[in-house]
Amino acid sequence: MKNRKAFFPAAGLLLLAIFAMSPPSAPAESPWISPDQIAYPALEFRMPQAQRIALTNGMVLFYLKDGELPLVSLTVLVRTGSLYDPEGKEGLAELTAALLRTGGTTKISSGEMDRRLDFLAASPSFSMSLDSASVHFSFLKSDLEECLGLLSRMLLEPAFEEKKIQEALALKKEELRRIADDPQKLAFREFNRLLYPGDPRGRYATSASIQNISRADLAAFHREYFSPANMLLAVSGDISREEAVEKIEQAFSDATIPRRVHELPDAPKQRGRGIFLIPKAIPQSTVVSGELTISKNHPDFYAFEVLDFLIGSGGFSSRIFSAVRNEEGLAYSAGSFYRARSNYGVFGTYAFTKTASTFRAISLIDAILKDAAAGSFSQTELDRAKRSIINSFIFSFEQPGQIASQQMTVEYEKLPADFLTAYRTKIEAVTLEDVRRVAAAFLHEKERLTLIVGDADRFGAWPQNWAPPSQFVPQH
Amino acid sequence: MRTKNKIWIALGLLLLACIALPAQAVDLEKKIVKARLQNGLTVLMMERKFSPTVSLYIRYRVGAVDESPGQSGAAHFLEHMMFKGTTTIGAKNYPAEKKLLSDMEKIGRELDRERAKQGSADARKIRRLEARMKRLQDKHLRYYIPNEIDRLYTENGASGMNASTGQDMTTYFINLPANKIELWARIESDRLLHPVFRQFYTERDVILEERRQRVEASPDGKLYEAFMERAYSTHPYGIPIVGLPKDLTFMSPAAIHAIHRKYLSPRRIVIAVVGDIDPSKTMELIRRYFGKIPDAGAPAARIPAEPEQKAERKAQVWFDASPSMIIGYHKPAPPAREDYVFDVLETILSKGRTSRLYDRLVISRQIAQSISAANGVPAARYPNLFTIFARPRHPHTNEELQTAILGEIEAIKTAPVTEEELARAKNQLKMDFIKSLDSNSELASILSYTELLLGDYRYFSDYLPQIQKVTAGDIQAAAIRYLTAENRTVAVLNRKTAPEEGGGAHEK
Repeated sequence: MKNRKAFFPAAGLLLLAIFAMSPPSAPAESPWISPDQIAYPALEFRMPQAQRIALTNGMVLFYLKDGELPLVSLTVLVRTGSLYDPEGKEGLAELTAALLRTGGTTKISSGEMDRRLDFLAASPSFSMSLDSASVHFSFLKSDLEECLGLLSRMLLEPAFEEKKIQEALALKKEELRRIADDPQKLAFREFNRLLYPGDPRGRYATSASIQNISRADLAAFHREYFSPANMLLAVSGDISREEAVEKIEQAFSDATIPRRVHELPDAPKQRGRGIFLIPKAIPQSTVVSGELTISKNHPDFYAFEVLDFLIGSGGFSSRIFSAVRNEEGLAYSAGSFYRARSNYGVFGTYAFTKTASTFRAISLIDAILKDAAAGSFSQTELDRAKRSIINSFIFSFEQPGQIASQQMTVEYEKLPADFLTAYRTKIEAVTLEDVRRVAAAFLHEKERLTLIVGDADRFGAWPQNWAPPSQFVPQH
Repeated sequence: MRTKNKIWIALGLLLLACIALPAQAVDLEKKIVKARLQNGLTVLMMERKFSPTVSLYIRYRVGAVDESPGQSGAAHFLEHMMFKGTTTIGAKNYPAEKKLLSDMEKIGRELDRERAKQGSADARKIRRLEARMKRLQDKHLRYYIPNEIDRLYTENGASGMNASTGQDMTTYFINLPANKIELWARIESDRLLHPVFRQFYTERDVILEERRQRVEASPDGKLYEAFMERAYSTHPYGIPIVGLPKDLTFMSPAAIHAIHRKYLSPRRIVIAVVGDIDPSKTMELIRRYFGKIPDAGAPAARIPAEPEQKAERKAQVWFDASPSMIIGYHKPAPPAREDYVFDVLETILSKGRTSRLYDRLVISRQIAQSISAANGVPAARYPNLFTIFARPRHPHTNEELQTAILGEIEAIKTAPVTEEELARAKNQLKMDFIKSLDSNSELASILSYTELLLGDYRYFSDYLPQIQKVTAGDIQAAAIRYLTAENRTVAVLNRKTAPEEGGGAHEK
């Protein structure tokens, strides 16, 4: 439909003319034509690109102008992650990130920093994930120099004030005390932990491990990872390219910092599997299941994206949502997720269902995956999934800040430079044969890890053909 | 260094006080096109050209407060049913299907009547009826195509399709490629005029699961529900949006139809369209699809007013979770002057690390894990609450935290907030305002919300000048008037059992 319109722009005009001429209250002109028959005007798909600029201090900058509002937004990405936590000191990476923001700098005390930032109504958020750290910061254009100055001091010259370390430790300890309060948070945390046996990714902060963290550990972790050359930066907003380059180089110039650039970590070598059970006396069970799978760099990545869409992330029509929610009414939330990284990925499914239907929901999802692995998809289903993914891709280019950040992530993950621009074409090229082959090759029933959080005594008899569960009470 | 910084701060104060409003905020009204169809339906449009996308919001001034007694949850249930298709979307043979749906409804009624007898229910009769229902449901599968609304939107590139039900209103929203506005008009007007409530009884189970997820299995949900129930003795704001279990379990299609009839009143509808649009063409489409709905007027809802509170109220929840609490005070809703004042107070109390409650209770005294003030709970069509949500840090208790919070509230009453606090709060509100102008969906959301709630979107464009007028004296006066013990509701959640310490029955 869309293509026809592009070739015959006049048809669109004619149609619009007819709409304009039809009196609004004329009953004969029924608008209830099939929604599939609507003729749409052509759409110009624009993919604005951020500029990539290598700065003299080793930072890589992605810049895209956005003059609509008097704001500047930036995102810093640091090559680090909680997977670099030393054994026995789990939580170090996360605490380092928190204390860069709250622990003061060598020139500005923590209290002074808080006062200045709150007064500027500019609040940078620091976060640590498994394999990167990031900072999001947006402020008024008129505060550019001031805000960049504060940010660079926080990132490069942290003081790690002792009082602030104790404060952060106490807050983290209380957070850990409260993890089991929220069944979903608990389930996803433990699932992610069990997924990586014998790997740093599977080691999590506990109240015991954070007790071992000292100021020297924080300073050492910071020294290792937070140098300008180990950072990428995305900037968008009401700022010129020249000004962005000049001010950032000024704020982040520090000849005394050694240029250490970290590589991406290796993929995990082992995968967790089996059925695990965390007893919790609540009326609804949380079930998460999944396995390690292919990466963004794998040639079958695109077919897997489509597969995941079909199985459980493609809205109401996807198989899990359709079966578990719409047909049987067993859950409000149910579906699948595919988190692909540069050298491995995680594919999983989830459902939150009442205690009595715990096993039924698991069996339904198992059957859907078995069916998928057996190649049950039709050409119609595939075409719909591809159209959905391709047509909504436009929303990846909705805002300048998002565009600059995406390009930065592509570089961070060492993906091909045309990863984003070629995405639609690659999805378009996925065939039914590809999806069937990928489902058969990468959905391994025996490799799957399943975690249930719920009122185990009331599930009913454990299904005979299932492996017995490992029951445990997680330590925080 | 310290002295130098202080001087700098003084300079900063001056500078910040001089920052003019961004031109965009001032120009907002020039960028917005407001139009009304003859039947009373209001449309707001705003062009934003960066990306060829559009955000579409349709809001109905029909929410949980508009439910009849004993039918709590009906408005939210209707929102779910609006995704089940229409007489022309998802239908294969609607006349035959209609007959089948009415048969199912009959069985459903009988089934609910029997189940309601609970202990004295006839189990065999229930099984027989369930079997008949299952046969009809299986037969129904041949008469419709499920998930067609979702399929149409998704295939055409929709992003963020969803709907939400509040106490005041129900909203359906979506982002689409800018050339697909007609699809939206076709679907939304059709499901307003000709919805078909398919899979009613399965969806009832889904909503019961939603309630389990949000309330029964969630300490925050449990506490919030208990708090609201106590805070309102008469007005329906005290009844949960998702519905009470006793009402939800036996919800009937008739209750859903009754709520749906209230949608069919164009004066209760506001549409906002923000993005890469041509306003006159967009208007033409909206007129074509929505123009035929007859003007049904919009009789004022008859909702009992909440009487003035005379004494402090308390609620207690036991749950297997660490302690948490909510404190709330009744106050006027927007556009009352006091509501702006409470927005500033909310900011002074809990926005940023130097805000009063965070600085004193989390950082200095270390008795709170988290604390946040929220003005305008649970909604804004009727007088609402100024609330504080807080969690104590172990080993501190809810009681200690409550004493500390009330101490801070007293401090607001006894001395005016400082000029620095006031200026900082205004800067923060200004920044939030500017940031909210940065996305199509946020703009569409705010414009349609203020227009529907207050009858004029300019509440939004006039917001900052109103905030600028708030003085320290206003804050003190509002605190003295509203933040009193008699006007207060306190709800606490404490642990049922103490898993770590052992022995004691309750950990507080």
